[in-house]
Amino acid sequence: MGILHTFGLEASLFLFQIINFLVILFILTKFLYKPIRNMVEERKRKIDQSLRDAEDAKAALENAGAERKRILGDAKKDADIMTAATKRQLSETKEKLTKEAKERSQQIIDEAKQRAVVELENVNKQVGRMSVDLSGKIMTKLFSDLFTDEDKQKILSRALEKIEKGGYETGSN
Amino acid sequence: MSIAPDILFKIAGFPVTNTIITTLLTDLVLILIVICVSKTLSLKPKGFQNVVEIVIDYFYDLIEDTAGKKVSFIYPWVLTFFLFIVISNLAAQFPGFESIRFHPAGYGEEGVPFLRAATSDLNTTLALATISVIAANIIAIVRIGIKSYILKFVSFKMFPIFMFVGILEFANELTKFISFSFRLLGNIFAGESMLSQMYHLFPIGIPLPFMALEFMVAVIQALVFSMLTMAFMHILSDKPQH
Repeated sequence: MGILHTFGLEASLFLFQIINFLVILFILTKFLYKPIRNMVEERKRKIDQSLRDAEDAKAALENAGAERKRILGDAKKDADIMTAATKRQLSETKEKLTKEAKERSQQIIDEAKQRAVVELENVNKQVGRMSVDLSGKIMTKLFSDLFTDEDKQKILSRALEKIEKGGYETGSN
Repeated sequence: MSIAPDILFKIAGFPVTNTIITTLLTDLVLILIVICVSKTLSLKPKGFQNVVEIVIDYFYDLIEDTAGKKVSFIYPWVLTFFLFIVISNLAAQFPGFESIRFHPAGYGEEGVPFLRAATSDLNTTLALATISVIAANIIAIVRIGIKSYILKFVSFKMFPIFMFVGILEFANELTKFISFSFRLLGNIFAGESMLSQMYHLFPIGIPLPFMALEFMVAVIQALVFSMLTMAFMHILSDKPQH
């Protein structure tokens, strides 16, 4: 007991120190350690979440790039197919139009030829008639004194008949 | 300078010593820290919150590295021991701790220092040691169960080897009270006494290196006490190998 007295050990002071420390422990744990730890954990969680979000965004960006490439590739393929189809269609249309134009021009040429032949026939006939009229007039004038009216009429009739048969076209009398 | 704390006055029979005054000042500092941090606590730490977070995080990580999952219930004890002891020890380095005198009846002309490091009082160090040892044992019982806890001290396996080991373990627990309390008391009281003598002999200049040394001792002793507490709490809450 003498030693304890030398060190100043007293039950009341000892108990005071124990109670004091436990109270301080309670206050610090409840109002300092826990809020700070929670804050640190919350911060860590947010940082982790932000890092995860950044990773997700990076992955999404990479996916978007790949998707863009895929869409561009598909679009290029579609464009190539459409271009090829359009070229083929154009070629077919061109061929068709050329063929139609050729047929039409041939038809026009044929029709023109037919018309020309008919025109030529008409002109021949008209020239024949004119030449007969002219011949008649010349003959009438030259042979008005040699032939009677009846003879003249007979000759004229025969000539007209021949013309109508196309006898002068070949150049024979 | 007496090793026993000096009684300044009594309140309803309770002796108020100069170490009690320092204990209350230490409490005040700790409560001010709590108030300052609580008021400005935010997700983006700044100023004082950074310092407190660094200290708490450092101890949390240190204990987690050693004790693993047991960190959640060990760290409040260890950190409180550290903060209480370090603030109490460092407070003694402030001017006025030796120079401000109190003159209670029967102490003569010179009187007694009004303030004295709380950890230079056996009442304080023994109280801290008692809390540390009892808390470590209670944590051990809660963690591993009463049966495993008793097996640490009483085992009939390989008789009488583990029986003897158990007795040694028990003696070890008892000696912790003495080693914890007297290590801290001895270091701080010796430092205070030395500084007190230095101030008397060489009031200016010469005490400075000793003050620096005492500053280191103050921090180291707080760290030693808290780290030993952590180690004992961790070791005791492990299941016995035998």
